Amino acid sequence: MKHTLQQIFRSGKFVTGFSIFTALLLIVIFYPLIVRDDPLANIGQGTFFPPGVYVNVYDSINAPPYILNLSDAAAKRVASKLGNQERKDLKEWLVAAGIPEDEIDITDTAKLLDLWEKNYDPTKNIPGMTLARQRYFQRLNASLQGILSVEGITIANPNPQTGALEAVKTVQQADYVNISQVPNVRVLALGTDNFGRDVLTELVKATGVSLQIGIVAGIIATLIGLILGLLGGYVGGTVDDIIMFITNLFIVIPSFVLLILISFSIGQEKRGAFTIAVVIGFTSWVWTARAVRSQVISLRVRDHVNLSKLSGHSIPHIIINDILPYIASYVVMALILQISSGILAEAGLSILGLGPRTTEVPTLGLMMNWAMIYQAQILGKWWAYLPVLVTIALITFSMNLMNTGLDQVFNPALRE
Amino acid sequence: MKRLSLIFSALLVLSMVLSACAPATPTPAAEVPTEAPTKAAPTEAPTEAPTAAPTEAPAEAAPATAASLPRKETLYFNGQQWGPVVCWNPYSSNCNNAMAIAQQDNARVTMFETPYLYNMLDGKQYPLLADGPWTWNEDRTAITFKIKKAAHWSDGTPVTAEDVAYTWAAHVKYNTATGAANKDYIDTIEAVDPQTVVIKAKLGPDGKAINPLIVAAYVSSNYVLQKAWTQKLEERSGGDPAKFMADTAEDVVYSGPYHKYFADDTKVVLVRDDNYWGQDPSMWGKLPVPKYLAHVIYKDNAAGTTALKAGEVDVSQQFNANVQDLWLKDGLPISTYLPDPPYNIGASLPTAFFNLASYGLDQLAVRKAIAIAVDYDTIIANAMTNQSATFTQVPRSLMNPTPGEQALYDHDAVKDLQWTGNDVEGAKKLLDEAGIVDKDGDGWREYNGKNLHYVATCPNGWSDWQAAIEVVAAAGKKIGIDITTNYPEWSVYQTVVTNWPLPETGYDIFMMWSDGAGPTQPWGRIRHLMSSEFAQTTNNWNGNWGGYKNPAADALIQKIPTLTDPNEIKAAYTELVKIYLTDIPSFTLMYRPQSFHTVNESVWTNFPHQGDGTNPPVPPLDLTDGWSIAGLYNLKLVNP
Repeated sequence: MKHTLQQIFRSGKFVTGFSIFTALLLIVIFYPLIVRDDPLANIGQGTFFPPGVYVNVYDSINAPPYILNLSDAAAKRVASKLGNQERKDLKEWLVAAGIPEDEIDITDTAKLLDLWEKNYDPTKNIPGMTLARQRYFQRLNASLQGILSVEGITIANPNPQTGALEAVKTVQQADYVNISQVPNVRVLALGTDNFGRDVLTELVKATGVSLQIGIVAGIIATLIGLILGLLGGYVGGTVDDIIMFITNLFIVIPSFVLLILISFSIGQEKRGAFTIAVVIGFTSWVWTARAVRSQVISLRVRDHVNLSKLSGHSIPHIIINDILPYIASYVVMALILQISSGILAEAGLSILGLGPRTTEVPTLGLMMNWAMIYQAQILGKWWAYLPVLVTIALITFSMNLMNTGLDQVFNPALRE
Repeated sequence: MKRLSLIFSALLVLSMVLSACAPATPTPAAEVPTEAPTKAAPTEAPTEAPTAAPTEAPAEAAPATAASLPRKETLYFNGQQWGPVVCWNPYSSNCNNAMAIAQQDNARVTMFETPYLYNMLDGKQYPLLADGPWTWNEDRTAITFKIKKAAHWSDGTPVTAEDVAYTWAAHVKYNTATGAANKDYIDTIEAVDPQTVVIKAKLGPDGKAINPLIVAAYVSSNYVLQKAWTQKLEERSGGDPAKFMADTAEDVVYSGPYHKYFADDTKVVLVRDDNYWGQDPSMWGKLPVPKYLAHVIYKDNAAGTTALKAGEVDVSQQFNANVQDLWLKDGLPISTYLPDPPYNIGASLPTAFFNLASYGLDQLAVRKAIAIAVDYDTIIANAMTNQSATFTQVPRSLMNPTPGEQALYDHDAVKDLQWTGNDVEGAKKLLDEAGIVDKDGDGWREYNGKNLHYVATCPNGWSDWQAAIEVVAAAGKKIGIDITTNYPEWSVYQTVVTNWPLPETGYDIFMMWSDGAGPTQPWGRIRHLMSSEFAQTTNNWNGNWGGYKNPAADALIQKIPTLTDPNEIKAAYTELVKIYLTDIPSFTLMYRPQSFHTVNESVWTNFPHQGDGTNPPVPPLDLTDGWSIAGLYNLKLVNP
């Protein structure tokens, strides 16, 4: 046993796959211990907040200010609202409004804005300008208000008696806060999804659930396949015929189609994550059964099996002690593949809207499904689906890598 | 072998998923309004076109075919037509012909026309086929209006009062949807002379019209169809109502500005009738601008949005999630009626109904606690991506957010009853006071010793409703009431909710719609939400699916259509709002526009928008419904 393990861990492929898988597993186990948020809590009011660090504005106003005199601060502030494109757009409007082109210098910010303020009229109808363009200029105009101001912003509160605004404090342009002194800072490393959920927290939970689904499905499929394969292969005769008849029947029907039909007929109210896992397990045992059977057929005429038979051992005894150890390595490899295909099957089902119910647990497939329903892929909200895709790819990739590694160790024909 | 195939299939799945995501990266190409879409369907045979318009003037022999419509003469739509057109028969309600046939409060008047056009922005009915406003007689039992002299059918014969009368007679004779919905309120429609129509209302025992509102709405929601053609159809169907309504009516005679040019399972195209009567100075004085109205049949909303982004769609009637990103992030020439949220004018109130027969939901405290605990701001921000007014902006009542309806009730009188939501503490207190507390310590409250467990539901795939229902369920968990969600398929859902009694579990809180804007509103909406005539009935497509009964509300609902004094009407509506917000048989989750109306100005411009200077204002109803068709006459090309 020890020797085998050593051999396995000498395989580069296996070690790579195993490391990726272990890393994922560790994240799934330890992340929820550190971040104790409910993965399904709708924290964002709005959809698809981009990834980033979210600093509470209210708290930052109340945090102690530090004055930093940075020479490029004002320029950066202006540039964020008034880039090259915006300058050209201002010019375009001014020219259309009849200002001579040579009077407009788009490099001189102060002059340009002055000209703009004097001439821009949001209600002015410029012939040939579309509504979308007019509204663009209205928005641009609004965003340029006070852009060159050097004054701070006054924070005011309404007086409870009179309702008049009373200045509380002034925030200067050179004021900075130290982020560690703001009590409420939330890192949304992967933003939020369409429900306003933290994608990273949800993704970790979903990976865990999907792994569970994969493992349950994989174990069920492998168990069924193993038992039927062993029985068919060792007992043979009519039992084998019947088992092979059923197996062949299932081979002909594409298992994914079967999966879709079964999930659909179960109905959504009964589709929990576990149910889906069981359904996947019960539709994907076929290849394991066939492969195990053929292995057993070649094993059952070996000398040690015959010897065991002569010694009067019972069939279960022979199967467990004389056959199973010889195909154990194969079964483990099959199990790994079944797990990874189980995860893929869940993702496929959920994308079709036939996955588990949404509210109870997140799964990788469900995350993809909702991202698609809310058109994340069209709107360019990559954080809602790309991390999910990468996770699915990593899981299946690592498992297939482990499988290949094991194969090289156990399969004499592949041994280097 | 297995391993290989697995890896291969994994790769395949990945590559498929990735390729599906490909349009995610905004490409600069999307900004260029190309002519490409017109060549999108080279396989379409234009053979049908000549047969479609037998009465057409020879001018129709334009070079255009359905396969390559000239982009600068074609207005493209999306979000209206799903699946292929079945028929062109305006007597049928199963034509699935969204570009031509929709007899509703805001009737679609591209091909067939109503006497009047309803304008949801000012609540008035403007004459179309009719000449001047209609009038009630003195005791409000009959409506009289005239038909325009200029109005004529596509075959050149004039539209007469006799056509109006015969259309109604056919509706009644064959018990069409229109006939069935109106025959309890309209007695007869008669032609006094070729130009004058009289609609006589059915009278109650007191000698007054049973429902003058519905009678008055008839003139703007139902088409006038040609008597001669109807007779031809009757002859063909041999008096069999099923055959009469199942006829595909390819030869139908119409009075509207457009008619069938091409239709298959990929697109529907209407072409302008250059002989249209409306170019007479007594109506529009000109022809509508686009020569073709085309609707490509998209697979789903995502496909529709992609086409809108690419400039292949000019007018979009579908829910585009985060529509503002299209102009703010992608810089596309796309806009909505309003520049800021809610982007459109809310008209209907998607509502969650309580099944009043469910355990514990007969208790007002439970209903109220759930309703006030729901976080409506999150529903509006997340499920509707802010395309709805909030309940702080438009306080909840039975009215939609249009100024006309908002003015119909006394806001101050019901102020204390309106809630804005997310009041978890208030809800808990309410339940505690009602003695509905968690006694066995399992985290869920009990009523009479039984845990309160409910299922909130809506149809599967209705994504904004599903997201809203999720928020309702979350609210229940916060106040100790176990609410789970369930999304049956629409085919199942619709049969269950429209047939009382509802199942014991699974449909405790369920979403349905309410009426939008129309000439009978808000009365019609209130009736559908509260009237006991629909409570606990089967095959109920009207409303009140939760089984609510209140005689006081019924009396008011019956009284309002006969009222004429604005103060009395306002008092009655205020009382109804009071009852509704006190009893909470159902609660509105969001406001929704009558139609979504997003336009891409790559090719066409001058679409209706807030403050566009039109008088009367053109409503944002896709330039096809009710008065919004006036917008078709204002369109201009961006680059003529």
